[in-house]
Amino acid sequence: MSRRYDARTTIFSPEGRLYQVEYAMEAISHASTALGILAKDGLVIAAEKKVASKLLDETKGGEKIYIINDNMICGVAGFTSDANILINYVQTAAQQYLYTYNEDMPCEQLVQKLCDLKQGYTQYGGLRPFGVSFIYGGWDEHHGFQLYHSDPSGNYAGWKATCIGANTASAQGILRQEYKEEGLTLQEAKNLAIKVLSKTMDTTSLGSDKIEFATLELVNGKVVRRIFGQPEIDALLKENNLLNKTEEAK
Amino acid sequence: MEYRVPNSLASLSGTVHKSIMEYNGGAVVAMVGKNCVAIACDKRLGVQAMTISTEFPKTFQATPKTYIGLPGLATDVQTLSEKFRFKVNMYKLKEEREIEPRTLAHLVSSTLYERRFGPWFVEPVIAGLDKENRPFICSTDLIGCINFAKDFVVSGTTSNQLYGMCESLWEPDLEPEDLFETISQSLMNAVDRDCLSGWGAQVTIITPDQVITRTLKSRQD
Repeated sequence: MSRRYDARTTIFSPEGRLYQVEYAMEAISHASTALGILAKDGLVIAAEKKVASKLLDETKGGEKIYIINDNMICGVAGFTSDANILINYVQTAAQQYLYTYNEDMPCEQLVQKLCDLKQGYTQYGGLRPFGVSFIYGGWDEHHGFQLYHSDPSGNYAGWKATCIGANTASAQGILRQEYKEEGLTLQEAKNLAIKVLSKTMDTTSLGSDKIEFATLELVNGKVVRRIFGQPEIDALLKENNLLNKTEEAK
Repeated sequence: MEYRVPNSLASLSGTVHKSIMEYNGGAVVAMVGKNCVAIACDKRLGVQAMTISTEFPKTFQATPKTYIGLPGLATDVQTLSEKFRFKVNMYKLKEEREIEPRTLAHLVSSTLYERRFGPWFVEPVIAGLDKENRPFICSTDLIGCINFAKDFVVSGTTSNQLYGMCESLWEPDLEPEDLFETISQSLMNAVDRDCLSGWGAQVTIITPDQVITRTLKSRQD
C-alpha cells in the first residue's frame, strides 16, 4: 500500500483507490452497529448506543437514530459530529423540496442529494470526507417503503436488510440467512433486528439503555413513525427472550 | 371635438390600484377567551373588484395549538405560509419540541424584517396556546413590528371595521362556545362593510383539548 498518496483526498492512488475514503470507512468500522430491515408493511432501524460513562447527562434524544422528515428516519455509524452536519443538511434539503414543490421529497432523491454532497468531498476542495455511514428508512407514495445505505464515498444502494458500523460481517451474514425471500411482516422484522443486535453487541448484558430502536409503518394511509422508549425496547427484548441475557464476552 | 385623454395610471384594464395591500382583499381576526383562543378569516380571493375564488382561507396551522392568519397580497400569503411551514418544521427537528406561540411571533417578525426595504405584503396574526395552555395572540405589521394584545387583534382590508366590531362585542373570559359566537359576529358584520372581503368565513377555536374549525356561510357578495 503506497503511503505517498494518503495526504490528498482528491487524487487516486496508482491502484485506482481513494485512500482517504477507505480510511473513513475504516473509522466507521469501529463505531457501534446500526442496522435496518425492510418489511412488507413497514421498516425497522435499530442501533447499539455507545455508553461512555454513567456520568453522561443525555439532553438530546439519541445519537444513532435521527428524524429527517415526516416520512424518513436514518441510522448513523461513525463520527457523531460529522453526522450532525450531514443530518442538518438533509433536513434542510427535505424542507427546501417541500417548499418548492409542496410535496414530500421522495426517499431516493433525498439519499442522492446527501450522496452528491459526500461525493464532492472526494473530488474537490481538498477536505477530508465525512466519517459517517447512513442507513435511511423512508416511505413515499411512488415506491412505498424503502431502505438505503450510503457511505463516505457517496455511493448508495437500496437494500432489503443491511447494517453499518462494527461487526457488520457477522450481522450481514445473519441477516442474509434469516431474511425471507417473500418478505417479512413488521413484527418479524422487529424480532429479527433485536436478535441480530443481541448477537453482534459486545456487551455481556443486553439492556434497553444501550439500544435505539425505531419503526416506520402505514396506519390509515398515513406514515407513522415510532421511536421506541426504554420500556418498549424492554418489552421487545422480553418477547424475544433476550432480556438480561448474559452473553459470553466476545 | 377632439378629446384628449390625459396620461393616467390607468392600465388597459381601465383600473388603477391605490395600494398593493388592497389588491386581493381579505380579513383576519383573533381573540382571547377563557383558556382558549379563536382565529377567523374570510375566504375571498379577488383581483381588485373581481372575485376569482371563494375558497381562499387565510389561516394556517403552524403547530397543533398555534395558527397564523395571513391577509394581504395573495402570492405573499401563499409563499409565507410555505416559508413558515419550512421554518417551523426545522425548528421542531432541531429543538425536538413544538414552537411556542410567542417564539413563532418573533420568528415571523424576523422573517418580515429581513425584507425591510422590499417587504412581504402581508400583515400576519398569530393565535395559540402555549405549553401551559395559556392563550396568546398578537399581530405584526408588514415589516415585523409585533403588537402583543390581551383582547383581540385584527388585520386585512377590513381592519377598521373589525376594530369597531371587536371593541363593541368582545369581553374578557368568554367560554369557547361564546368566543365562537363573538368572533363570528365580529367578522361577518365587519366584512359586510368591505367590498374586498367576505364570500364565506372560516373560524378556528383552539382549546387545550381540541381544535375545531368551522366554515360559515355569509352574504355571497
